[in-house]
Order: sequence, then C-alpha cells, then structure tokens
Amino acid sequence: MNTIIPEVLPSSIPIPEFVVTSFSYTLYFLHLVLNRVPGGHYVTSYLSKSTHDDPYRTAVEIGLILYGIYYYLSKPQQRKGLQSNRPNLTPAEIDNLIDEWEPEPITDAAETRDFWRLAKIPVVIGSGANNYINFTRDNDKERFENVFNLTSMNFLQLSKKDEVVQVAKQTIKNYGVGACGPAGFYGNQDVHNNLEYNLAKFFNTEGAVLYGQDFCVSPSVIPAFTKRGDVIIADNQVSLSLQNALQLSRSTVYYFEHNDMEHLDAMLTEINESEKRENLPAIPRKFIVTEGIFHNSGDIAPLPDLVRLKLKHKFRLFVDETLSLGVLGKTGRGLTEHFNMDRASSVDITVGSMAVALGSSGGFALGDKVMSNHQHIGSNAYCFSACLPAYTTTAVSKVLEIMDNDNSAVSKLQRLSKLLFDKFNKNEKIKNFFEIISDENSPILHLKLNDQFRSNVFGYTQELLYDTMVQLQKKSVTNKYFEPSEMEEKFLQDIVDDTLKTWNVLITRNIIIAKHETLPIVPSLKICCNSEMTEEELTKACDNIVESMVSLCSTQA
Amino acid sequence: MSTQANQTTVPLLGPEILSIESKRENEFGSLTSKDYLHQVKVVEKPLAPPVIDTPPYYILLITYLNYLILIILGHIRDFLGTTFQKKKHAVFLEQDGLAPWYSKFESFYIRRLKMRIDDCFSRPTTGVPGRFIRCIDRISHNLNEYYTYPGTDSMCLNLSAYNYLGFAQSEGKCTDAALKAVDEYGVYSSGSRSQIGTTDLHRYTEQLIADFIGKEDSMIFSMGYGTNANFFNAFLDSKCLVISDELNHTSIRTGVRLSGAAVRAFKHGDMKGLEKLIRDQIVMGQPKTNRPWKKILICVEGLFSMEGTMCDLPRLVELKKKYKCYLYVDEAHSIGAIGPTGRGVCELFGVNPKDVDILMGTLTKSFGAAGGYIAADKWIIDRLRLDLSTPSYAEPSPAPVLAQITSSLEIIMGKLNPGEGTERLQRIAFNSRYLRLGLRRLGFIVYGTADSPVIPMLLYCPSKMPAFSRMMLQRKIAVVVVAYPATPLIESRVRFCMSASLTKEDIDYLLRHVNEVGEKLNLKLNTGKSSWDGKVQRWDIEDVIKKTPEDCKHDKYFVD
Ligand SMILES: Cc1ncc(COP(=O)(O)O)c(C=O)c1O
Repeated sequence: MNTIIPEVLPSSIPIPEFVVTSFSYTLYFLHLVLNRVPGGHYVTSYLSKSTHDDPYRTAVEIGLILYGIYYYLSKPQQRKGLQSNRPNLTPAEIDNLIDEWEPEPITDAAETRDFWRLAKIPVVIGSGANNYINFTRDNDKERFENVFNLTSMNFLQLSKKDEVVQVAKQTIKNYGVGACGPAGFYGNQDVHNNLEYNLAKFFNTEGAVLYGQDFCVSPSVIPAFTKRGDVIIADNQVSLSLQNALQLSRSTVYYFEHNDMEHLDAMLTEINESEKRENLPAIPRKFIVTEGIFHNSGDIAPLPDLVRLKLKHKFRLFVDETLSLGVLGKTGRGLTEHFNMDRASSVDITVGSMAVALGSSGGFALGDKVMSNHQHIGSNAYCFSACLPAYTTTAVSKVLEIMDNDNSAVSKLQRLSKLLFDKFNKNEKIKNFFEIISDENSPILHLKLNDQFRSNVFGYTQELLYDTMVQLQKKSVTNKYFEPSEMEEKFLQDIVDDTLKTWNVLITRNIIIAKHETLPIVPSLKICCNSEMTEEELTKACDNIVESMVSLCSTQA
Repeated sequence: MSTQANQTTVPLLGPEILSIESKRENEFGSLTSKDYLHQVKVVEKPLAPPVIDTPPYYILLITYLNYLILIILGHIRDFLGTTFQKKKHAVFLEQDGLAPWYSKFESFYIRRLKMRIDDCFSRPTTGVPGRFIRCIDRISHNLNEYYTYPGTDSMCLNLSAYNYLGFAQSEGKCTDAALKAVDEYGVYSSGSRSQIGTTDLHRYTEQLIADFIGKEDSMIFSMGYGTNANFFNAFLDSKCLVISDELNHTSIRTGVRLSGAAVRAFKHGDMKGLEKLIRDQIVMGQPKTNRPWKKILICVEGLFSMEGTMCDLPRLVELKKKYKCYLYVDEAHSIGAIGPTGRGVCELFGVNPKDVDILMGTLTKSFGAAGGYIAADKWIIDRLRLDLSTPSYAEPSPAPVLAQITSSLEIIMGKLNPGEGTERLQRIAFNSRYLRLGLRRLGFIVYGTADSPVIPMLLYCPSKMPAFSRMMLQRKIAVVVVAYPATPLIESRVRFCMSASLTKEDIDYLLRHVNEVGEKLNLKLNTGKSSWDGKVQRWDIEDVIKKTPEDCKHDKYFVD
C-alpha cells in the first residue's frame, strides 16, 4: 500500500510522520476521485506539478480557498438572501411572516403634542419682508393688520430699491424665469457666470459657486472635499445645515466647546498627535468648521484666533457666513472685514446666502480657484440641480454694486443692531428673567430664559436638557421630546402672542425642530432689525416687547 | 464697454434686437400643421419590460479599448507630470502640511478623461432656453485648460433644456404674471417658511398643485434637489428600510443617507427582483437584531432622466398594497410632460394618485420655474410641515417663481388661455414620438418608452461623445452628451430632451443632421431587436421624414 501513495511532502523538511501520512492519504484519495470527474486530471496534474515545484504554494493556495469559502459563508446577511439566512422556513411560514408584518404609519399622526406650532405660522398677505405687514394665522382664524415686523431677515432691504426691481424685471423680459437645466448642461447663463465673478470680486476671493438654496450649500460643499479618514472639528453650536453636512461628510467629526479657543487648541494638538502616532501614508484633509454669526445664538466666531490656530495646526477653516455676509464689517463684507482681515488668506471656504442680507434667492460658496472648480464636478447640489432663475442673479449683482458704492445701509443696520442690543442689555428688569446670548453686532437678537428662571418655572436646567437629548440620541429615538422644554417654548410663544395682540408688534421664537438637531439647543426668542427701520420705531417696539416680557414673566414667577 | 477679443471671462451679452414676432418664434415655434399633434391615451396593457438593443461585439471591444488607451495615457501623463512638472500638478500634492483638496486618485477620471471633452459641458448661454438657445462662443486653449470668449454667440436649436412644455419664454401670460409678482411681492424673501416666509401666494400655489396632482395637499420648496435631500429624515430612521431603484437620482440617495435608513437597491425596472427583495426583507428584518422593519418605503422615479424609461407604476402599486409598503415616486421629469393631460405617470397608467403615498416633483422642468413639491394626504402633509427641516431652516420660494408656476399650471389645466395647454401637451407627445421613431428608423439605438420626452441615443465609445457634440454644435444644434458615472461605463450616450416649442420642421432638420453625423461616426448600430418588425432598420432619410410623422402616432411601431 505504501508504495502507491505518492510522496507529496519533501522529506527535507522535518514534519511529523503522522502529518505526512495523513496528508498523503487524503491527497491520494482525492486524486482518485478527481480522476473520475471529467476534466479532473487537469487539476491533479496541476497540483502535482505545483507541489513538486513549490510545496508551500499549494498550502497557501488551499488556505486561500478555505478562507474564501469561510468569507463567503460569513458575509453579512443582506447579501446572502433568505435561503441561507433562514434556511429552515417553509414557504407557508414565510407567507405567514409576511402576512403578520404590520408596519408603522408612514409618518406620525398629524395631531400630536407639538401640533400647536402649525397654528402659529403667519401667512403674510404680500411680502413678509416689509416692515408693516398684514397676515393671518391658524387657517385665517386670526387676522392682523399693519403689524410692525421684527422677524424679517432681509436686513439691508436693498433689493427693494427701484433700481434693483427694474433690473430684475428687465432680466425676466430677456431671460424668462427658469433656467431649465443644470449648470453642466447649458443651464449656466452669462448672468450666472457674471454673478460668480462679482461675488468673488466683492468678497475678494478667487472664485464663487452658486447654489439653488442656502440650506443645501454646506451639506454639498463639505462632502465634496471629505472622505473617510478625513478630520473635521466643529463648534458645538453649529446650525442644522452644518450638522447635516458633517453627517454626510463620512469623516471623523469632533466638537469643541462653543467659541472656546483654548479647548480648540488643545483638541487640535491632540488630533495631530494621534495622527502622528498612526503613521498614515498621507495626511488627511482637516477642517475647522464654524459659523460667522451663529444661527442659534447670534454669537460671533473669534476669527483671528481661529486663523492663528488653523495656521499653527495646519487645518483649513470653513465658515458658514449665511447671516454675517452683508451685515458685519464696515462695508458688509462679513466676518473678515469685521476683524480687519483678508478673506482670501484667512478663510478657506466661506458659505453664504443670497436670500438673507443680499435680498434675493440661493446660496453660494467662496474660496480659491482649485476649490471652486472642483465643486463644478464634485458637488452634488451644484451638479445635479438646475441653475437659479436668471433674475435672482442680476438682482444680487445690482445689490452688490450698490453696496460697493455706498455703505449707508450697512452702517445704519449696525447702528440699529447696537440700539436693539442695548435696549435689552441695559434693561435690569429683563435681566431678571432673560439672558442675552447674541453679540451686539448681530441684527438678530437672541433672548433665552436665564437659568434661575428656567429652573424655577419649568423645573429643568440646560444641562438636564442636554443630557436628556444626548440620551435620546443614543437610543436613536427620532422623535425627541422633552416635556419641560416644550412648555418653555409654549411660554415663549405666549410672549410672542402677547406682543402681537397688545402692541401689534411681531417677533418670533427661534424655530428649531428637535427631531433633527443633533446638538443641544435651548429655546430662545428672536428679534430682527433691518436698515429701513427708524430708531424711534425700533425703540418704541423694544419698549413694548420689554413690557410684555416682564409682565408675562412676572406672573409666571 | 466693448468686450475684448480674448477675454477669459464669460461676457455679458445684451439681448438681441428682434421684432416681437421673431422673438416669440425663437422661444416657441408656432404649430405648422394640425397633423403634428398627438393625444396621449392611457396605457391599458401592462408595460412590457424594455427591449434593449445591443450593438455588435466589436463596438464593445472598441469601447473598452478606447477607455484602456485613455487610462494608460492618463497614467503616463500623471507620472511624467508629477515627476517633471511639479508646479503644474501641485493641486494634488501636499503643500506646506495641508492635504490637497482632492487626491490624484480621486480626480484621475476627471482630470484625464473628462477634461479632454470639457468643452462639451457647461457651455455658457444667454437669453431664454426655448426653441433656440444662444450659446456664447468660446475658444478652448491648451486642451480645455482655459477658454477665451470672442464675444459672439451662436443661435442653436435647443435639445438640451428640460423645457418640456416650452414654458421657458420671456413674453406671454407666464412672464406677465412673474412681472406682476415682482411688483406686488418683490424679488426678496424674508426668512424661513415657518418664521415669516409664507405668503398667500405660497398657499395658493400649494393648493393648485395638490388639485392638479390629485392629492389633498402639497408643500413647495425653493429647490428640487433640496426637496429630496432634506425629505427622508423627516419620517425615516435607522430602523426603516428604503428599497430604491438602482438608477435613482443623487438627490434621493443623499436624502436617504441623511435619514440613516437602511437601503437596498433593485435592478432598474426589475419588478420580479423587487418582489423577491421585499419578501426577503420582511422575513429577515433588520440586520443583526432580526427585528421587523418599522416601515418599508419603495422609492422610484416616474421617468428616468438618463434612460427615458418609466417605472411600472401599476405593478408597483400592486406590490406596495400586497406587502403593506409605502411608495414614493419622484416625478421630476414626468410631471407636466407625460399623461393625457400632463398629470404625470399616474395619469398615463390610469393609477389613482391616492394609491401612491407620496408624489414628489420638480417645478424646474415642465413649468419653466424652479423648486420642488411634495404632494400627499392632508394628515401626512400637516405632519411634514412640522417635521421637515426645509420649511423651518431654508429660504422659501420667491414670488416671481411662484407666479410662473401658478400661471403655467393654470394654462396646463385650461383655466388660463383654454386650448393652449392641450396644444402644448399634444405637441410634446408628437415631437417625442416622431424623433424617437425617426432615429430608430435611421438605424440608431434609442432607449426608452414611446411617450417619454427624454430620448437617449447610444454612442458607446467615449471618444464619439465629443465628436458628436462638436459636430452638432457646428450644425447649430445644442445637445447633451452623458457618460459614466451617470450611465454604465460603456453606454455613453447623447440625450435629446424634447420640447413642445420645437416644430416638426425643426425635428426634420435635426434628423437630417443626426443622420449625416451618425453616418460619419458609425453610430447606426441598430440590430432590429427593438423595431416592431424585428428587422434591421436603415431607412433613407427622405423616407423617414415622409412616413414617420403619420406612423409615429401608432403604438404598434413601438415595441416597448
Ligand atoms: C429625479 C430628479 N429629482 C430631482 C431633481 C432636482 O431638481 P432641481 O433641478 O429642481 O433641483 C432632478 C433634476 O435633475 C431629477 O432628475
């Protein structure tokens, strides 16, 4: 018997006898079987040849095949399908399972605990950017006339000027309304290109890229430049648009304490050190992400420190200036001008809106040439969406021209912003109940209840709210709901309603949707001013609002 | 200011001085004969799976070879460039400690393949993208590295815009409405919809759209992409499943990713595969935990913009009902353009819109405006008004756009200028069928269903794309060429977007030139698989123009 068993393992290697024999036996019988199968002798001759030349190779190959089989069997269940995942189910059982399955309704029921919000949305007759407006609420059940409007974010009111309106109308007469195509396919008209040049020139960057809607800009720009392994460190109070962008970025995301530069510095050092330890083949792209004027607080980011840190640690700086372009700086050129810095050399990506201070529609991203050009091919909301209507672009071009020649609207706005801030900040009665969280340069004043009042009346603290939200987030509860904070929002809405009904003055809550927010926010009230108001109007309205606030808060306390 | 002959920025060209009649004709050609109209009928029989004509093998071989050469050349150039011309290739090298904006590998396809044909994309235009489009001339330098603009333009026949019903116009009822809206509401907005941005015009538009679609209520948004990209996270989470057609638009994919829901794709249009997938998923439930899914949403597009195919709506509704799934249909390209009265795929297939849970569409295309809408039952919309992020965080649609939407919708519905809407619908139906059948008879391979206004014609070789596009531009025809990654690697194509603003004579002109160019580029590869008689089609151009206008009205000539 021994004679016919082929010697497959070289005797030069010391291998235990039993391994050699058992291995030889297996091979021998395999050999016999294979010879019976059609084509099998090719396999055997290949095997014998390769073992002869290089025995280890066979071992490696067999190992690979075994691993392949193992890998196939251990694939995640979705690839394998039903047959291998639940092999024991009979067809009848499968039908039963399918019959039994009861999905949840497509959305939650309409009427739930937060439904009151819907009835509080004003429906304006005419434009909501005017300072005196008529509107209805709650399906026309409530009507209000000639209300002084402190909610509009059309801060400069420049697009109301006759020259801008005429330009827009002329454009509609030459171009129609829609562009009917995305930028890559004939949708980009000369006016779009020229607005990009004008924006770049006005804000002193190499390039600008237009987008159809301000809310979509960041979630499209950031993922165009990030991939797995890249690093983003963001302020922990960025708005939802940026939160979405971070979620879509696929990168590793860290947060630093709101506007806390020491914390940022420490974290940047740590990130860079851990990166060094990992010895990566190439450096990842690294971004610091923050906002110019914060949506949820009206705070301003400390740009000089951010630029110092980004240079020190070799990060790029991304700033969402939706609310600050046209508002900050002597001529409205935004955060960089506010701090007397040069945009091109300090901020790598700026994101702005044309629907806020510039008074038209759409959004844009500013930055250097390479970055801008890459968006033309890599940024989804640019590539896969139709261009803006032509008239919106010429209107913005005209507004920029006006701003370039005359900064009176901007300086008026800044005067009014300070006035608005002082009216509340210097008022001791307000301080008993409210805390002002916005900067004096922000045309949006944010007021939130102070900690003491909140815990007295609503029985919770900011920390508790944060913790609860984080807990809910962790359990991936999507309908985040926290009763005390809902009560607080209702109370803030009562203040809004009271100023409206008593004084015919409209202010608003900071409208947030808890379900989407991944970062914790406390409710606040928002008061917006714009450059078309007079100081008397604003002063009088502020006095009225203060009165409402104080009287309502006093009854609560 | 005069434009310099070699300026490197796109010049602002003024409007052409034309009589009002010529301007009108340039934007929307008047109907030359009542014969060139076609009334679409409801599709009674179930949709046959599309017949895909395939070219001879040598074409596939050439196509792969074509890519191979491009890729090898690209790598050689990359190698030489990064070794000898560091400065010129600095964009993808590390610079003083900063990673490049994009890596060499990620951008290879764009730099070395797309860049070569960059002059076929993003051609700047001016004026109305109507029947004709004014393309601004540009001269390419250094293999498309930069362009100069001599300041002239070419009037081209427009087969590129999503101007299905021809509402891209700068005079007429819609323009009047838009101008009036500028006077009454201004061009500005004031803040998000929930804050102060809702006007009476928004409410009116939403109600009008809902009535048109046949749903109880609707919501509008200022951007079609944004509608999808911020939609799914309002009601889906990681315990929900989205079953998505593999060719769905990027906006849908982005939106689904943002929601965190699990995604399974099925092969484009494969209803059997879809049913199996649904059954498997209901039984298996969520991965790891095996708990049942909270809900399953099927996402499809009504008319696929690169294929010209439609979803099999009757079957989808059947499956959705049988398995208690929810159905979402994106009618970006089909709303307004398809169906006996322009109400989209539901109407074309005779499906009750109530059977589709959520109907989405864009206002950018058939209506010549901008933005998107979502239509559903009132209780769903009420809930979504609270839960969607867009209304509370993003800008609202501006008034002139709303005016364009309402006026064009009223025309389609016959409330404004009765008869005009019907004519537009009958013209686009005729035009689409005429061009599709005409191209097939000439011997080209054309994808898509008979009534689709998107008409993709296959080119295969990537190098034929720029050739075709440039030759058509010389002949004053503006076309869109698309390739990987928007299509499968080897199926590069030209996409004709039909419009009601074209006349039959325009299409004759187009057919003659496509015939000529197609001859030169060896594009007549039709093997007869998708023709009604199963024969290879190589008709003479004169015969096509003579016979097709009548024939194209009969369904029997369209096997798919
Ligand atoms: C299916 C689909 N959905 C959404 C969109 C985006 O629409 P918009 O161009 O209005 O942003 C498109 C546009 O190409 C589309 O094809």
